[in-house]
Amino acid sequence: MSHDSHHAPVADKMELAPERSDLGLFRPDRTRGLFDWLTTVDHKKLGIMYGAFAMLFFLIGGVEALAIRTQLARPDNDFVTARMYNQLFTMHGTTMIFLGVMPLSAAFFNFLVPLQIGARDVAFPRLNAFSLWTFVAGAMVLNGSWLFEFAHLAGWFDNFAWHKALVYTDFAPANGWFSYAPLSGTFGQANAALQAPRFTGVGTDFWIIGIQILGIASLAASFNFICTIVNMRAKGMTMMRLPVFTWMTLVTSILIILAFPAITVALIELMFDRQFGANFFNPSAGGQPVLWQHLFWIFGHPEVYILVLPAMGIVSEILPTFTGKALFGYPIIVFSGAVIGFLGFAVWSHHMFTTGLGPIPTAAFSLLTMAIAVPTGVKIFNWLGTIWGGRIRFTPPMVLALGFIWMFMCGGFSGVMHSSAPADSQQQDSYFVIAHFHYVLLGGVLLGLMAGLYFWFPKIFGRMPNAGIAYLASGMVILGFNLAFGPMHYLGLAGMPRRTHTYHAGNGWETWNYVATIGAFILGIGVFLAFVNLVYTAFKGVKCASDPWNGRTLEWSLPSPVPEYNFARSPIVASRDVFFEHKHGVHKLTYENDGGEAGVHMPSQSWFPLLAGFGFLIIGFGMPMMAMGMPHAGWMVIAGLGVMFMGIWLWALEGPGGYMLKTPSDPHGAAAQAKAESSAY
Amino acid sequence: MSQAADATHAHAPTSTGIDHKKLIMWLFLASDCMFFGTLISTHLLYRKLYPTGFTDAEGHQQFIQKLFNIELTSFSTFILLMSSFLMALAVSAMHKGQLKSFRRNVLGVIFFGLIFLGCQVYEFTHFFHEGLTIQNSVFGSTFYVLTGTHGTHVAIGILWLILLYFYSFTGKLTGHMGGLDVEVAGLYWHFVDIVWIIIFTVVYLVEYLGPSGFWGTGLPLAQ
Repeated sequence: MSHDSHHAPVADKMELAPERSDLGLFRPDRTRGLFDWLTTVDHKKLGIMYGAFAMLFFLIGGVEALAIRTQLARPDNDFVTARMYNQLFTMHGTTMIFLGVMPLSAAFFNFLVPLQIGARDVAFPRLNAFSLWTFVAGAMVLNGSWLFEFAHLAGWFDNFAWHKALVYTDFAPANGWFSYAPLSGTFGQANAALQAPRFTGVGTDFWIIGIQILGIASLAASFNFICTIVNMRAKGMTMMRLPVFTWMTLVTSILIILAFPAITVALIELMFDRQFGANFFNPSAGGQPVLWQHLFWIFGHPEVYILVLPAMGIVSEILPTFTGKALFGYPIIVFSGAVIGFLGFAVWSHHMFTTGLGPIPTAAFSLLTMAIAVPTGVKIFNWLGTIWGGRIRFTPPMVLALGFIWMFMCGGFSGVMHSSAPADSQQQDSYFVIAHFHYVLLGGVLLGLMAGLYFWFPKIFGRMPNAGIAYLASGMVILGFNLAFGPMHYLGLAGMPRRTHTYHAGNGWETWNYVATIGAFILGIGVFLAFVNLVYTAFKGVKCASDPWNGRTLEWSLPSPVPEYNFARSPIVASRDVFFEHKHGVHKLTYENDGGEAGVHMPSQSWFPLLAGFGFLIIGFGMPMMAMGMPHAGWMVIAGLGVMFMGIWLWALEGPGGYMLKTPSDPHGAAAQAKAESSAY
Repeated sequence: MSQAADATHAHAPTSTGIDHKKLIMWLFLASDCMFFGTLISTHLLYRKLYPTGFTDAEGHQQFIQKLFNIELTSFSTFILLMSSFLMALAVSAMHKGQLKSFRRNVLGVIFFGLIFLGCQVYEFTHFFHEGLTIQNSVFGSTFYVLTGTHGTHVAIGILWLILLYFYSFTGKLTGHMGGLDVEVAGLYWHFVDIVWIIIFTVVYLVEYLGPSGFWGTGLPLAQ
């Protein structure tokens, strides 16, 4: 076995002798700097990279949002063209959901789940790296469409024959984030080259392949996390002792593996329509565009809970920490999360009330949608119960978490309004809907994720963000957000439609649109300020103790930053909130007799997950270039498939490898030290 | 290589006692159920909506019972079922460490899988010449994409088994982990087989149900 070639335990991986994998190639274990980050399989480094990419795309999506608000600030404005406006709102939605919120949640999954369950890594470390690089490939494909769009606007393509043959020239996606057929599809009869006329440009093809690649990344990550949570819990860490954030990760991952196949199939069908002349959604050949809506929302509604459940998990960790109380009704909170996930699959048609489903399905989906407010309300009451009578410390994460409860509840109220089908048919496609889902996704999810960032940043980097700037940024975000999206309730009910690039004066919409734009800029500056504060902290922030908040779960028992082996000795868990119990209660943390001089087993680093992700990047650019009619682009797709398969094959053949790393032999040291240090706030 | 390392890595006890690789394969299969469920639903929805078949390139109405060759498809279904039997034998042989028996059985699975794929290639070619294309009808789109996706699953399975077959000569396919690797491939293979049983039933067999097909407007069987 390959393990026989292992070296004696070393204190630092740089002391390792060069080791060859089963393929005969040198493993990239002894690397520092860029190569280390590119080949790492450490869940903490992967989590940091997920977070960094997510924050970058949050900023890009934010710039798109501000361009939209600038255009809408005044009636009959011409800041951007209608064509550009379509691309902006489509890419804004797609970016925020798939490249902002989901990877930021994934960053927390990666960093926290192994630490919270007392494990040294995830179940499949190289698969984890593959998820990250595949996500990066998908994100680059989606945003790469902008480069084509700018090249087109600059006139660089004008002399090419394939460019002259294009009917529509929107190179960035322009269908809205759900790409409804038939607008995203084809019409009429396919020609000899298997191409039917289309309603939109190749932006849609970028969107199809980009989302497909991101779906693969999410699926691979979710298989990994379910496996990790179910199978790698430390001794004594029963399911009902799991921290709530880990529980919500589990529910979210289950939602992803069951919901994403629907969009995968829908995207395959749409791709066959556009690139091979099939008729799934082609109305002139009998295709039913409403089928796209069903398939999309069978994925799309669980997706809403995929976005929000991790934020709920984060808030469920923060509230007990800063009230000094155990989470009120832990089993009920966990159960409510699972019920939300379950019901999330049974409400998709409430996005489609106006398609004319008939009275029975409309009533059924109405009822189920109202029902889903029950477990959500249960959670909110449990959070209030947690705060009640607690000794509240208004730290930045706590301020944001309280903001989450408040704003998310507002979004929930307008959500219940939508569940009533007659009311919904008035609100459909109006700014009321925009207001609703921004209260849920921004007031809810973004505030929750920002709270998580401020909460765990000291653990991730061992440095404390500047509290003054944090309070200022949080205040600006909450104020600007309400100023931007509160008036949209009124605008929507006053009849302002979504997805129109401008409006005429005299409808009574001018004032509140102007206010919304001011609010959007305050919000944008607030988020930017928060991110600048965090990035500065990561490099230059003030160093802090390993347990600055008086934390409750296992990750706070570790030094900050967390060493690469996580736990010098594997913990044995005797209660819920085990570290808090250790510090203040009767159940002390004990440890298994592993690690120390004998070392702990570390997985080897690898180039091949990156190579497989690179294959997806080539496929992702090849498919839309094929749709553009660029010569030989089909070969690019085949080459990309080849690189992807090669990456996975070599990854299988190199063998898992691994080496032994010595750890400190006294795991109580860190925990005892943490107990002695008081809170920084 | 110390014994301790072996205990913490290769044979690390899991919380549930189920190996990671087996668990992740079951999770993948759960996801794949939804994948095929969506494809099969698409096919059935359109089949119910347009029960009368398709129109060929000359504009003639064609009936699906006339197009299908149920004898051939029954044969290839039987072959795929038997390949699952051989797969079970291969997994059992690997668990007992009988490499020769494993290789013999896995070659059988590969061979049967290739026969199934060959039948599908023949069937697609035949249907194409009969006038059913992916472009000329909704039935063509759903039929080719559904059965083609299943065929891709079979092809990936065959590729996987071929790689395992050659890997068995390196001497690394041994012990508990070797048995696990083969068992996981077996889970995949059985799943792809079960999916085909469903596709064979709801796409092929129901066309011959009752006097004029399950969808009610096909040709009477007597013709």
